[in-house]
Amino acid sequence: MTSEGTSPDPWEVLRTLPLGQRVELTDEQGTTWSGTVLPSHELSGPRVLTLKLETGYNVGIRIGPQVRYRRLGGPPAPAEVVTARPSGPPTGAGAIELLTTGGTIASRVDYETGGVRPIAGQDELLDFYPELRAEGTVRITPVLDVLSENLTPPDWLTLAGKAVEAFGRGAQGVVITHGTDTMGFTSAALSFLLVDLPGPVVLVGAQRSPDRPSSDGPSNLHAAARLARDRRIGEVVVVMHEGLSDDRFAVHRGTWVRKMHSTRRDAFVSRNGPPLGSIDANEIHLGPWVRPPASGPARLDGPLDARGALLSFYPGLPASRARQFAEGHRGIVLAGTGLGHVATEHLGWIREATARGVVVAMTTQCLEGIVDPFVYATGRELLRAGVTYLDDLLPETAYVKLLWALGHASSPDAVRELLLRDRAGEFLRRRTAGVPP
Amino acid sequence: MKVGLEVHQQIATGKLFCACPSELVEEEGATFVRRLRSASGEDRYVDAAAAFQASRGLSYRYTDGPSSCLVECDEEPPRPLNETALDVALTMALLLESRPVDEIEVMRKIVVDGSNTSGFQRTALIAVGGRLEVGGTTHEILSICLEEDAARKVGGDRSEVAFRLDRLGIPLVEIATGPTITSGAEAREVALEIGALLRSTRRVRRGIGTIREDLNVSIEGGHRIEIKGVQELRLLGEYVAREERRQQLLLGWREELRARGARVDPTVIDVGAELTGATQGPVASALHGGGVALALRLPGFAGLLSTPASTDERLGRELADHARAAGVGGIVHSDETTAAALAGGVADRLRDALKLDAHDAFVLVADRSEAKVRRALAAVAKRAQAALEGVPGETRDPLPDGRSRYSRPLPGRDRLYPETDVPPIPVSPERLARLRASLPERPAASRARLAREHGLAPELVRQIVYGGELDRFDELVERGRSAGAVARLLIQELPAVPPRPDGPPFEPSVELLDGLLRATESGAFSKEGIPAVLAELAAGRTTVDDAVHRAGLHRAGADELARVVEQVVGQQIELVRQRGEAAFSPLMGDVMRQLRGRRDGREIADELRRAIARRLAEPSH
Ligand SMILES: [Zn+2]
Repeated sequence: MTSEGTSPDPWEVLRTLPLGQRVELTDEQGTTWSGTVLPSHELSGPRVLTLKLETGYNVGIRIGPQVRYRRLGGPPAPAEVVTARPSGPPTGAGAIELLTTGGTIASRVDYETGGVRPIAGQDELLDFYPELRAEGTVRITPVLDVLSENLTPPDWLTLAGKAVEAFGRGAQGVVITHGTDTMGFTSAALSFLLVDLPGPVVLVGAQRSPDRPSSDGPSNLHAAARLARDRRIGEVVVVMHEGLSDDRFAVHRGTWVRKMHSTRRDAFVSRNGPPLGSIDANEIHLGPWVRPPASGPARLDGPLDARGALLSFYPGLPASRARQFAEGHRGIVLAGTGLGHVATEHLGWIREATARGVVVAMTTQCLEGIVDPFVYATGRELLRAGVTYLDDLLPETAYVKLLWALGHASSPDAVRELLLRDRAGEFLRRRTAGVPP
Repeated sequence: MKVGLEVHQQIATGKLFCACPSELVEEEGATFVRRLRSASGEDRYVDAAAAFQASRGLSYRYTDGPSSCLVECDEEPPRPLNETALDVALTMALLLESRPVDEIEVMRKIVVDGSNTSGFQRTALIAVGGRLEVGGTTHEILSICLEEDAARKVGGDRSEVAFRLDRLGIPLVEIATGPTITSGAEAREVALEIGALLRSTRRVRRGIGTIREDLNVSIEGGHRIEIKGVQELRLLGEYVAREERRQQLLLGWREELRARGARVDPTVIDVGAELTGATQGPVASALHGGGVALALRLPGFAGLLSTPASTDERLGRELADHARAAGVGGIVHSDETTAAALAGGVADRLRDALKLDAHDAFVLVADRSEAKVRRALAAVAKRAQAALEGVPGETRDPLPDGRSRYSRPLPGRDRLYPETDVPPIPVSPERLARLRASLPERPAASRARLAREHGLAPELVRQIVYGGELDRFDELVERGRSAGAVARLLIQELPAVPPRPDGPPFEPSVELLDGLLRATESGAFSKEGIPAVLAELAAGRTTVDDAVHRAGLHRAGADELARVVEQVVGQQIELVRQRGEAAFSPLMGDVMRQLRGRRDGREIADELRRAIARRLAEPSH
């Protein structure tokens, strides 16, 4: 075999071959490799060519100056083609609408490269999640295509608007596929932004990517689609695995839920109390505290004012940095320690801020339990400094509510009043020792 | 015939992608239920083997325990690849003169039978090419891979399969040979050599199921058949021989079917009405349960489904295996209607209804689920059609009697795609140089050393090296035990310990074996007692002392020896007087019955001789 082309360095040629080009290499040790050229891994070493061998294995081969190569024909045909399709026509009458935002649940893997790309369009999504239409008509509306860590408050408004439109078109319920990282923020935001909901708005995601046969995406989505057709709910909820099994799902109130694990399927947990309900193979069980549907029509109650912030206190946080952070904001939610404390050196900037009309609100970084300013001296001093204590709100929920309140009131007192008034069932008020209320 | 071998050896380095120990445990933890699907978005191409499994719609129940963590539960991404396990695989590459890849890419191999919680097995190609000399023949090595072992199946039924997670993720080194093997005996020799080479790294797990072989067998005019997961090395030759015979028979049947103009009629016919008289057997019970009975016509197949009598391979069995794999209990076919399933005139009524003449056969499947019946008959029709072509390529399960049974289609190449959660792993020249500088002793060198240093007989040496006992042999000898006693313990006495049906396999530690041999050396009990003491240890005694006492083998003291000997001689005094010293043999038998294993035989004999001599020296009355 001789080297093709005139380049003295085979690496220079091989690295620029088109994806899918088949080549045969003879390396410096005399071993012959034939396979398909793949893009090198982001973390591959220098001069390493990634080849998919005829056996299906990918390997990295270092392309030294003496490597010889030869182009072969096109890529080999797949061994056997089986189109995976659901059998039977869709049944049932409930029409729901699915809004997609990107994230793991709406991505699929490119099997050659291993790269992940978004699912494109309604047909592909329904092909991919045949469970979706098992019980009725589904209309799919792509809204956003971003990883959830890239979502911003304006995206929440967009999404809320699309949900309102969906109900306007007659949808019985709305399902939103969402990346899990910030799903709790979005669910809280929609809880405050959407009023008079005639049906459920169900956010759903996947902790295991859909390129695995074990992905939790399909079963979560199926459960979410079932819940979206339930006529007992008029609020924003999150549906995800209840435990590690694929046959039970928890229904969480949008303002109570938090991602509490980076990887587990049951990462989403209702804080301070049990979930609103659960879904198993046969039934949807709902607790008595579920908010019933309104007669509608659904409305978007914006806007949000993005001049609010969330700051987590930690030992060693200099008061000067916190003071700088507070500048330019109309409101700050603090995630304090324990019952809602920060170091006393912070009292200075907090007093100055509240005096300027900045709303400073307190939550607990414990995530479970209430904040209470009366138990310790620090709390009492913070209260005197003008800090608003937000009972059992999650820091993230409090932050989202702050943006909403800032959007709806101009005076600090009015903002504080909105913050403390229950709007979407976000205050639990009563926490029990493990027994459902 | 061409035979290729894939040897899979578990590595004792901890798991491949997490920090769990690579040990099987009986202790059980949490349980959870999962489903898997194969439609993983692969450009709408689904691998045949994967689609087949997913079509069965099973649930999988997993139980975790002390040997598994979130990674095995598919609740956490894989951690970095175990470097020690990689060293073992690379060492094998060097021993087999293979070419390691420059950068290892971990792949996902789609497996949706539930044995992997993720729905895929992680596997990486470590090296390609290479050679292995066995008995003067050079065999080609195709590849060396490092992969995860699967979860242990512990039970299940037709809707749910239960697995334990302890085995999942144990590293496996997979060594594949080219199709250079030409007989079952040779396959066994090659497997033994590869096994010994693997064990030479001293990093492999030992015990039943820690090494498994896959066989690829094809004959001229046939097709590649994969027999997967042979655990009994001694049966390897048998599987090859039987598979060769099966393929020859299939080719013979093809000729016969073609000569007859046989064909497969894909029309599925409801024969429930014809079966109303059937009162017993599986068909009747399926119908009584509200099920359906459907049949398929096989024109020209009559008589071929259960011939020939000279072997236990049957075309009918092939059809039944495919039906079973599709989820039903089995089939009834026209060549065996004398069976209880279709007694009386039912078979004749059926033949009439199906409009069969004497050359035609039928296959009948009954089940409560019509969907299952239709799926099963479709599988039967496909297999019957393949009989007209000869040998269909497929994956088969080995059975304990040396036969094999259809399990699933051959996997295709599309099953592999990159494990994006694990970055590529460079194989540096420095790493290879380090491993090359400390390569283990090859089996041939070990054999020479054992013969030279310990004067052990060649057959014994062979058994130590190829029986997987070299590491324990060396360790015990290094601890100061005598080579002869160690060899006897490992090759004869330990394998003779009767297996316990109810408990875990007896896997004594080297410490325990060392203690056992020390105890005999120190005279705590005699070496004749080793089998009895081993039996006690296998029954769960944790110390050698305890086992010796339980076996009643604690050394008899000088007093006890003298007392027993005197007692026996006293009882048999007439015999002693009559026969003099010749009474020794029968008396020795009596004494040994009481003291066997509790005192060295020579010491007992000496004591007895002295006692007899004393009696003979006494004046007679
Ligand atoms: Zn683990």
